[in-house]
Formats: sequence, structure tokens, C-alpha cells
Amino acid sequence: MKKKLVASIMAVVLAAGLLAGCGGGNADSSTGSDTSATEESSSEEESAPAEPQQAEVAEATTEDVTIKVALWDYSNTEYYKTMFDAFQQQFPNISIDVVEFTADEYEDVVTTQLGGKQDFDVVFMKGAPKLAGLIKQGHIYAIDDLIANDADFNKDAYAGLVDELSLDGHTYALPFRYDNNLLYYNKDLFDAAGVAYPEDGMSMEDYHELAKQLTSGEGNDKVYGAHIHTWPSNVYMFPARTEAFKFDDPTTYENLIPYYNEILAMQDEGLVQDYGMLKSSNIHYSGVFYNQQVAMMQMGTWYINMLFENVGEGKENNFNWGVCSIPNNDSMALGNCIGGVTPVCIGAYATHPAEAWQFIKYICGEEGAKVLASCGIIPGYSSPAVGEIFDAAPQTYPNAPEGLSKYMNCEKNLPEQPMNAKGGEIDTVFQEEHSAIMTKSITAEEGVQNMIDRVTAALAE
Amino acid sequence: MTSSDKLTAGEIVRKVLLYVALIIMAFIMLVPFAWMISASLKFEKDVFSFPIVWIPENPQWSNYSEIWQKVPLLTGFFNSVKLTVCVTILQLATSSLAAYAFAKLEFKGRDTIFMLYIMTIAIPWQVYMVPQYKMMTLFGLTDSHLGIVLMHAFTATGVFLMRQFFMGIPTELLEAARIDGLSEYGIWAKLMLPLSKPVIATLCLTSFTFEWNDFMGPLIYLSTTEKKTLQVMLRMFNTQYSSNYALIMAAATVALIPVLILFVFLQRYFVEGVATSGLKG
Amino acid sequence: MGKANNTDGQVKSSTLRRRKTLVAYSFIMPNLIGFFIFTFVPIVFSLFLSFCEWDSGNPLKFVGLKNFITMFTKDKSFWISLTNTIYYTVVTTPLTLGLALFLAVLMNKPLKGRVFFRSVLFFPYVASLVAIAVVWMALFNPEKGPVNGILMALGIANPPRWAASTTWAMPTIIGLTVWKGMGYYMIVYLAALQGISRELYEAASLDGANGWQKFWNVTWPGILPTTFYILMMLLVATFKSYDTMYITTQGGPGEATKVLAYHIYNQAFKNAKFGYASAVAMVLLAIILVVTLIQFKYEKKFSND
Repeated sequence: MKKKLVASIMAVVLAAGLLAGCGGGNADSSTGSDTSATEESSSEEESAPAEPQQAEVAEATTEDVTIKVALWDYSNTEYYKTMFDAFQQQFPNISIDVVEFTADEYEDVVTTQLGGKQDFDVVFMKGAPKLAGLIKQGHIYAIDDLIANDADFNKDAYAGLVDELSLDGHTYALPFRYDNNLLYYNKDLFDAAGVAYPEDGMSMEDYHELAKQLTSGEGNDKVYGAHIHTWPSNVYMFPARTEAFKFDDPTTYENLIPYYNEILAMQDEGLVQDYGMLKSSNIHYSGVFYNQQVAMMQMGTWYINMLFENVGEGKENNFNWGVCSIPNNDSMALGNCIGGVTPVCIGAYATHPAEAWQFIKYICGEEGAKVLASCGIIPGYSSPAVGEIFDAAPQTYPNAPEGLSKYMNCEKNLPEQPMNAKGGEIDTVFQEEHSAIMTKSITAEEGVQNMIDRVTAALAE
Repeated sequence: MTSSDKLTAGEIVRKVLLYVALIIMAFIMLVPFAWMISASLKFEKDVFSFPIVWIPENPQWSNYSEIWQKVPLLTGFFNSVKLTVCVTILQLATSSLAAYAFAKLEFKGRDTIFMLYIMTIAIPWQVYMVPQYKMMTLFGLTDSHLGIVLMHAFTATGVFLMRQFFMGIPTELLEAARIDGLSEYGIWAKLMLPLSKPVIATLCLTSFTFEWNDFMGPLIYLSTTEKKTLQVMLRMFNTQYSSNYALIMAAATVALIPVLILFVFLQRYFVEGVATSGLKG
Repeated sequence: MGKANNTDGQVKSSTLRRRKTLVAYSFIMPNLIGFFIFTFVPIVFSLFLSFCEWDSGNPLKFVGLKNFITMFTKDKSFWISLTNTIYYTVVTTPLTLGLALFLAVLMNKPLKGRVFFRSVLFFPYVASLVAIAVVWMALFNPEKGPVNGILMALGIANPPRWAASTTWAMPTIIGLTVWKGMGYYMIVYLAALQGISRELYEAASLDGANGWQKFWNVTWPGILPTTFYILMMLLVATFKSYDTMYITTQGGPGEATKVLAYHIYNQAFKNAKFGYASAVAMVLLAIILVVTLIQFKYEKKFSND
């Protein structure tokens, strides 16, 4: 009986092995020839770093087609609908089939579905590392040929972001949103304290000093000079903007130490809320700034939109706010920007790659950018028109500052996490060591050394 | 029970202490619900204010009407009911049959097959999620309710729970029934099932709660909005940069009601002295 | 048993046995078929994966024991999360089991308001994990939480920093898990208690047994199979759980609350190492197999008594 059992288990294993696609030619009727083409290309990868599968260059048809678009936050984000409607007006033959997944689990679901060769034409991604992972797995088309054959496409409008979204010399995605980071401050609190507003190019010491001047009160009425949210990026963002720190280069991690020590000192002096306290009480960064409990806060530019909506005359919170570039120890005032990218790419099992390209080019181009900008979201595409929309913001939202555009048109747009398939592993290391440092379980020096050791090991694999 | 008519002073003190302890415990158990309801009536920005404000100054009842407008919750509600009822019924029927064989019948390969059942509960779903999805794609069962029902109806835990309960029923009872000429199917239907009302109620509750609250399964397998379940729709209030916990909690409070109704309804199966009546029959 | 002795009786008994087996299979088939196709096959495949490298896209590559060698010799996080998981499981399981049994025995008594108390105990199990976690973490907030407030009022100058301390983070999470889970297992125990015949208690009373003696001689043997079930389910549940940590501490501070299932999740979905994740899951499987075998032995001994 035992032998029989072993034999039947082996049979199951073999049957299951076929599922993995090592047998090839899975009967997925909907993807047709694209499927087999990808499989050939991916099996070549075993021996040599072969050329990636390029999305085929074809004239977009005038026939009626439907493209399948995977994204998150669709049902609660107005600008998608505005933008997609505008796209369909211009391309009446292309309909859009939106497949929406929840934001928190989006990447896991997309990984699973692409593993089952789901025929998404367009895939929105939440960041570069996961995109790199999917590319390595053969789930994403390269778009070099599409770009090369498209005369209307202007790569320079993305301030280097398209190149940042390339891997091994090939381009795979266009940036849809680019949420760089700024220091937000409450003008009313600064006026009340009689302190001058923060300026571009502050050092960490200046920042610390300002926070000290702005901290006042006790107990529930206490106003903190600054707010350091609980993400690791709320620390490494500062040196990353000046490129003193690079997320996937452990040799640059040492430069984090002074930043950690400055922030730990601010925490010890009670100028910022304690990390452990924030973490245990799930305090969201948005509330503390709306409620005027903090005077300064580093946050992504998506927060501009949130401030438009939540702060102003007739709303529950009413104060004037301003922004400046985030502090750093390399005296960089303007210049570089650092922030999160939302790349958009073409799935490797797409049925209409040519139409998908039309769509991507539209939403990541001038037209899409204008819609995003009018909602207070910074697009990956920069143009004077986008800057004008932001500069006009105070007319609609009187609490907003003048001249926002100078923080959008940067010389160089850096992604917060670069295209590295190991990004997920590095991120885990940062999460863990960051929490250990911030709860003072270990010193900044020890924590950074752990980061160096662990990331070096992960990259060496 | 008969001697409890007259209580001594010591017994009264003990009773009082017991009730005080129970009430304190009940209070602790209810705190999360109080939080859920309180949060569901707040402005988004106040949800996590600290220390906790239990009674919102300005209750936002509109959160409850807003959730119905934001996502098609009614559709989700019906989809969830459909999936949950199908899975629970199938699970009860097939698990009790299989559990009877595993607990009370002798046959070749019994322990081995049972071992394989148990083995599967040890594997975290994340490990076989992708292979399973590939397989379901092959069968054409993705984006369908049928696929989810088939994946969830035949689980090891249901069989395991029923088997363990059946193990506790004396074999002499079955022997007596066999001598009376009952077939194995007859014993299952006329003896085992009536005897196991409490465990059927438990499995019903387990299965219902699991399926009703399951979220990753429907999220991965159902792409069409009209097919999505309540729990998937509830998560739509989470966005990348902020989560509207006031709405999430309002929706979660609404979603909780069916489970609580079921629980109260099933209570009577934990009270009746089923075992005694069964033994006499 | 002589092979040549093919008497009528043996033929009969073997056809009888065959029929018995057939009947038994007719009972398990409806569940077994569905279970085999939809759960067992993918799981066996994932076991096979533990000997492969697979990123869910490219074809898989057989690597033999490499995943296991890496896991045992190089992966420090594996050992840390294994230790944490054992800590978490070894404390959570008996605590939940004991409390559930205690509550079930209590709730099986003819108390006034029994239905209310049972429902209330069951509530945390069905409540949203987010709500439970928020309330728990607020109670144990290191700076402004009421628990530390009480401790300080009692004269403890430096109360634990709970989830913000590497030492206390795990106990904090264990408390949360026990709180959430004990009501459910109480219900399972309650079902088992209802299954014990009252006549047995009456007989024990006639023999002059006191409360404790009744518990050990009547109740305990009656609920033993259910205890096995709960024990197994708790072991598996605590071994497989990571959502509580995911919501509260993300495995931190440092790696203080990083558990095996979290490690598996990270390896599979963050790092796309599905083969390696399977290998880690195999460790979990091995532990469960050992416990099941012990249980079988114990069950046999118990039913032979």
C-alpha cells in the first residue's frame, strides 16, 4: 500500500509539474500566440541574458477593441474617470475594461494573476522594485521599439524618469505619477511663534533648531515642532535627494548615521512625537498636521491634494500652509527631487499592445498630466502647463502657497526606490532595522551596520 | 442541581464574585465593538486620535449612507451570502459523511488518507496560492463563484472537527444500531447527525465566519465588479496613501450583523441536552 | 493464515471486507474528490517546489536540497523567525486552550444570562482584526496607554514599552491573539461538552465523586478528541499566522515579532522566491506531521483502554 501511495503521489507531482508551465504550451485560449512567444523567450533566458520580449509595433487599428487595465483606487479616485473618458473621446474605437484590486494587496494579486497569464493590456504599478521583479519574471513587455517608432513621444519631458524606469538597458514603463517629497509647514503656527518660515536648503541642524523653537505646550495641547512619520523613507529620503544615499547601494548607507542621530535627538528632546507611541496608536500623519498639532512635516506631494480638500475656509481646519524642499546636509536647495513613481506598463500576455501603448502614452503625456495637476497630483510628465496649474492653486484654495511649480519642475527626478528586483528584500531589511533604531533597541551605528551586512548579502545572491 | 434551592452565605458570595468577574470580562470583550461603532461615526481624521474618544462629539451618521453610495455594497452582500451559504452547506454535508467514515469505519488506507488531510492544513496558503491560481485558470474557473465554492467547500478542517467529535460517541451505540438492522447510511443519518447538533452548529459557524470574512480568495479570483464580495468591497475604502477608517468601520459594523444573527440563532444547539435524548433512543 | 485454505468463510469475510471498504469510500468520496483536486494537488505541487527555484513566471529549475541548505546554514532571518514562532506558539497555544476550556466549563453551567456571556466572549473572534488591534495597542500604548497609567500609579517608574520594545513586543501580540481567539475555541469545547452524556455525570455523582473527580473521570476523557483538534488547530493557526504582526508591528522592532509565516510571505511575494518559501513551509509541515503521529498513537492507546 505504501508503494502505491508513493507512486500515486509521484503521479500527482508530475501532473502538478505541468501546471508550472515547464511543459509549456498551456492551453490558455485567450492569449493565443503571445503566450508561446513569451515562453520561448523566457526559456532562452536560462542560458544567456537574452533580449526581452518587445511589445510588437503595429498601427493602432480603427476596429473596436477593448483594453484590459489593471489598477487600484479606481472607484474612489475621480481623475481616472475624467482621464479615461477624455481618452475615449479621442480614441472612440478603444474601450477600457477596468479591473480594480484593493490598494494594499494590489501587487500580490497582480503577481498571482500574471502568474496565471492573465491578459492585462495595461498594468499600473506601485513602484519600481516590484516592476523590476515582474520584468525578471517575464510578465512585462519592453517598450523600446514602441518608443523608437513613435515620433510624437518625447522622453525629455520626464526629467530622467524614463531612464530610471529601465532595466538592463531596456525601457518597460512610463511614469504616470511622480510624488516627490517636500517639507510642509503651518504658517499660522510660525507666525504665532514669531519665527521665520523654513527655507529651501536647510541643514538637519537648522531643522532641529526650528523644531525646538516651534515646540510648545504640554499634554494634549502640546504642539510639536516637527513630525517624523514611521516609514524608513521618512529618514532616508533626506540624504537620498542629494544622492548621498542610494537605496540599493550599501556603500552609501553610512551616510544615514548622522540623519538618524539628529532625528533620535529630536525625539529625545520631545520635539517630535515618539516613534513607539506613533506606531502603537496607529496615528496617521494626515490628522496631526490638519489638527495643527505639528508645525513641520516631511511628506510626499500627494499630500498637497489632501490639504486642498481638508484645509480651508468653511472646513473643519483652517490655517495657511507652505512648503519648502526637504532639509539635507549637502546644502542642496532646489535641484533634485526624490519621490515615489507610479509606473505604467504593458502586460506580456496583452491582446492589444498597440492600443495599450496609445493609452499609456495618453495618460502619461500632456493630456493626462493636466488632469492630474488639476487635482493637485504631480504627474510624471513635466511641462509648463502643469506648472501653471499648480501656480494658480491659491486662486481656488486660498490657504495654499504661491509658486508651487518650482517644486515640481526639478532638474532631476529620482525614484525613492530604484529599479532593482531585490528592492523587496532591501525594503524588508530597512523596515526592520529602522524600527529597531527608532525604538532605541540598538544604536543608529549598529542598525546601519546591520543594514549594510544584510543588504550586501541579499545583493550577492 | 436539586441541592441549589437553598444557598448558604458562602455560596452567595461566590456567585456574586463570579458575576462580577463575568461582567468585567464581558466589558473587556465588548471594547473593540465599542471602538468600531465609535470610529464608524467619526470624521476620518479623528479615527486614530489619542487618547481614544469613545463618544464622538458630532456623530457622522452620514458615514453609513455614504458607504452604500460609494461601492455597490448590496451586490457584494448578495454575492457574499451566495458564496457563504453554498460553501457552508456543501462543507457540512461532505464533511460529516467523510468524518463518519474516518471515525467509525475500518477500511484500508484510512489513516493514510486522513494523514494527508491533516498535512494540508499545515501549509500556508501563500505557498500554493500561485500554483492553485494557475490550475484554476487551466480549468477556466477564475473569475467565477463556482471556482471559489469548489476551492473552499472541501477542506480538511471540517472533516477533522467532525471526526474528533464523532470519536467521542461510544461505538456501542453504533453496534446496537447495526444489530437493529440499520445500514451505515442509516446510522449516519438517524444516529450520528442528531447526536452531533452542537458540532454541526460549530462547523456551521466556523465555515460561515471564514467564508463571510474571507477576503484574499475573492480578491484574487474575482475581477468583475458584479461578482465581488462584501469584504472585497469593504477594502476599497483603503487607498494607497490614506485609508478612510471611518467608512471601513461603518461597513465592517454592517458586515458583522449576519454573523451575529447566525450566532444567536445557533445558540440553542449548545443548550439542549441532545446527547442524553440520543442515548435513550 | 494458510494460503491454501480458501474456505467459504474466508471468501465471505473478504467480500464482506471489500463491501465494507466500498461503503466507507462512498462516505469519503464526495469530500475527497473535491479536496484532492482543489487543495491537495496544488499543495503537493508546492511541496515539489521546495526542491526548485521558481519566481512564478519563468520555468522552474530543480535545485535539489539547495533551498534547505540555504535555509539552515545561511538564512539568519529563518532562525530568528523560527525561534519567534516557537515562542509565540508555545505560549499562545496552552494559554488559549486553557482559557477556552475554563470558559466553556463555566458557560456550560446554568448561569443567568449565559447566552449573553457566550455571545460576548465570541465577539472578538468575529470582530475586524483592525479594530481589535487598534484597541489593544491603544490599551498598551507606551506613553499614554491606560495599562501603563495603572502600572505607574502602582509605583512602577519604568513600565514596559510593550510593542515598542524588543522584549515586550511578542508578549503584547500574544495577549492580543489569545484575546481574539479564545471565544471561538470556547464554542468548540462547548459543543464537545454538550456531547457528553448526562447519565455519566449522574452515575459519577452516585459514586460520590466531587467536582474535580467528575471533571477528570467524565469530562476530560469525553473532550479529549476535541482537545486534540483544538491543540492541532491552534498549533497550525499560530504557526501560520502573520496578519496580527502585519497590522501591528510589521515584524519589528528589529525582528522581534517576525514569525515564520511572515518570512514565507516575504519570500514568496516580496522576493518572488516561491521555491524557497515552500521549503520554509516544509519545516512547518514536518512539525505538524510529528504532532499528528503522536496524536494517532495516543488515540489508539485511548480507544484500546
